[in-house]
Amino acid sequence: MLQLSDFQSAVLTSIFATLLVIWAMWPTKKWDPRGQFCYVTGGSSGLGLAVAKALTNKGAHVTIVARNEERLAKALAELEELRQNPNQVIRSYSYSLTDADSSKAALEVASKDHSGKHPDAVFMCAGAATPGFFVEEDANSMRKGMDNSYWIQAYTALAYTKAIVRDKTSGKLVFISSLLGYMSMLGYSTYSPGKYALRGLAETLRSELILYDCTVHIMFPGNIDTPGYAEENRTKPKVALEVDSSDKPTAPDVLATQLIYGVQRGDFHISPDMLSNIFRSSTIGATPHHNVLLDGLYAVAGWIGLPLWRQGVDSKVLKHRNEHEEYLAAKGFFKTVL
Amino acid sequence: MVSHAHLAMVLFFLTTTTLTLVLSTLLLHFMWPAKRKWDPRGQHCYVTGGSSGLGLAVAIALTRRGAHVSIIARNEERLMNALGEMEKVRTNANQKLQTFSFSLTNAESSSMALEAASQAHDGVPPHAVFLCAGASTPGFFVEEDAKSLQRGMENTYWVQAYSALAYTKQIVHRKTPGKLIFVSSLLGYMSIIGYSSYAPGKHALRGLAETLRSELLLYDCSVHIMFPGNINSPGLIEENRFKPKITLELESTSKPESPQVLAESLINGVQRGEFHITADILGDIFRSSTIGATPHNNVILDGVYATIGWIGLPLWRRDVDSTVLKHRSEHSDYLAARGFYSSSSL
Repeated sequence: MLQLSDFQSAVLTSIFATLLVIWAMWPTKKWDPRGQFCYVTGGSSGLGLAVAKALTNKGAHVTIVARNEERLAKALAELEELRQNPNQVIRSYSYSLTDADSSKAALEVASKDHSGKHPDAVFMCAGAATPGFFVEEDANSMRKGMDNSYWIQAYTALAYTKAIVRDKTSGKLVFISSLLGYMSMLGYSTYSPGKYALRGLAETLRSELILYDCTVHIMFPGNIDTPGYAEENRTKPKVALEVDSSDKPTAPDVLATQLIYGVQRGDFHISPDMLSNIFRSSTIGATPHHNVLLDGLYAVAGWIGLPLWRQGVDSKVLKHRNEHEEYLAAKGFFKTVL
Repeated sequence: MVSHAHLAMVLFFLTTTTLTLVLSTLLLHFMWPAKRKWDPRGQHCYVTGGSSGLGLAVAIALTRRGAHVSIIARNEERLMNALGEMEKVRTNANQKLQTFSFSLTNAESSSMALEAASQAHDGVPPHAVFLCAGASTPGFFVEEDAKSLQRGMENTYWVQAYSALAYTKQIVHRKTPGKLIFVSSLLGYMSIIGYSSYAPGKHALRGLAETLRSELLLYDCSVHIMFPGNINSPGLIEENRFKPKITLELESTSKPESPQVLAESLINGVQRGEFHITADILGDIFRSSTIGATPHNNVILDGVYATIGWIGLPLWRRDVDSTVLKHRSEHSDYLAARGFYSSSSL
């Protein structure tokens, strides 16, 4: 029987662990954006713009789609600065993505630049959040929330999938959810359902698109340092802002790099940082792992840490009860006829 | 240096400790429930989708427990039949058993339904709202269109969310206590081929429930959400009419559960104050494997379920994936036969 000294055991374990970590994190560049037609929604600002820039830098053909024409023009100029070669097709189109027909039309118009061939990869970065208290929402604000978190990506996914299946070409569907697609808390009743729904759609499609040649990916970032985040904070309840305060928003370029990396590695759920990995592994269910052993470590960390985090948030909410009642009273909530 | 004897002792110690912890937790759990259980007797319970399937089973089970029960659905004939069944199990003359025909995929209508039901109770909102309304129309994603996807979201998410919104506003406005009970699905914990119009809405319900569990700590409203598998109901028969063959194949190994058994599990779960409520071991495995920051029902038992899931779920999924993979050419023929490739409009 092999007899090892304590020291030898420790050394072997360390070497093994290190190799494991290196293997897990070693980028296996299977997909190269160079020369690929990439379609980026929400591509005129925030994460979408960062993704478009990163792809342009890597030599991809990039088409960005958003609504605001002025922002699109500015974004297009930034992309042009990063152009790697004269053959890159870099375009922008103004379309509403919370409308199904419009989403489809945008895709078709973009494909015309490539002789009708549809994108090789679709990065659905479009989305917005308008947090608030549930009792202050109404049917309209809830529907708008679902439009701006779920439909704004789902309509594009539908149009794209049908197109590439009919054309029998290959594709990549890349969704952007949020940590609020792994968990939720006070203030996000119009946002989290849509972000969870994106996961539900992605899980269905990962299974179903095995019938075709389309890979599915979905990223779950935390707060992103963008104009969108600044806008979001305008309506965010104080308690939610308090919980946010311990977590610095991430730069969109960092997330864009992680996103493209994840797509290249063929990751289904893409986790750009430690917290995302912990949430991913703690909610993994039947979702494919990245690395069964590393994910196990993340899951154990989550098993212990997440209940503590949640209890902290719950206790902040509880302490806020009186202040919240006064807030509602001041807004006439208790007097209004519902 | 670690010898065999040392290892054996450590293993023995760990096993005994774990077993002791598990057994004592189970013992305490069943013999000394931590809080006073919620008793439906004399409470006004509002059950959407209460004229058939799970909703009807819940309505009957609550009636049997002495609650005042209002059931809401669309079809008036089914509502009448349901009322007849509830009357059979009435326990006393004072129980108010009512039916209301309203559409629940409309916000205003959902709000009106709630008000109508509260009228017989002096305008006081129900003590508990069981949102059992829902329907599923599976199909291949490439055969869906915007309308069918939207309908799917209406029949999974909005059909419960609108009622939840109306109810929460009422109980906060009136400062009365409440219980909000959503019904999601195993397809709110995971998804497979065929459910692109259903799983998103069932996942969305979880997102809403997680938000509200946190937010309604500001008020006196507890939140609960159940995740059943297939239910042996008229709804399932309807659902199976459209279900892709491969989805049916994948589900063939699991037997649909009886709505009566599920109704008991649901009410028991609400009584125990559980947030996520599951009806069987598969549900517990999925719940624990996707638990994230969601409160545990029992930290140790959930750990056992999660470990089983960690090993078992990837195996199950790989099996599902390989079944789908084998289906590729048959599916391609199917689409061709339906003119999918030659269609100029998508």
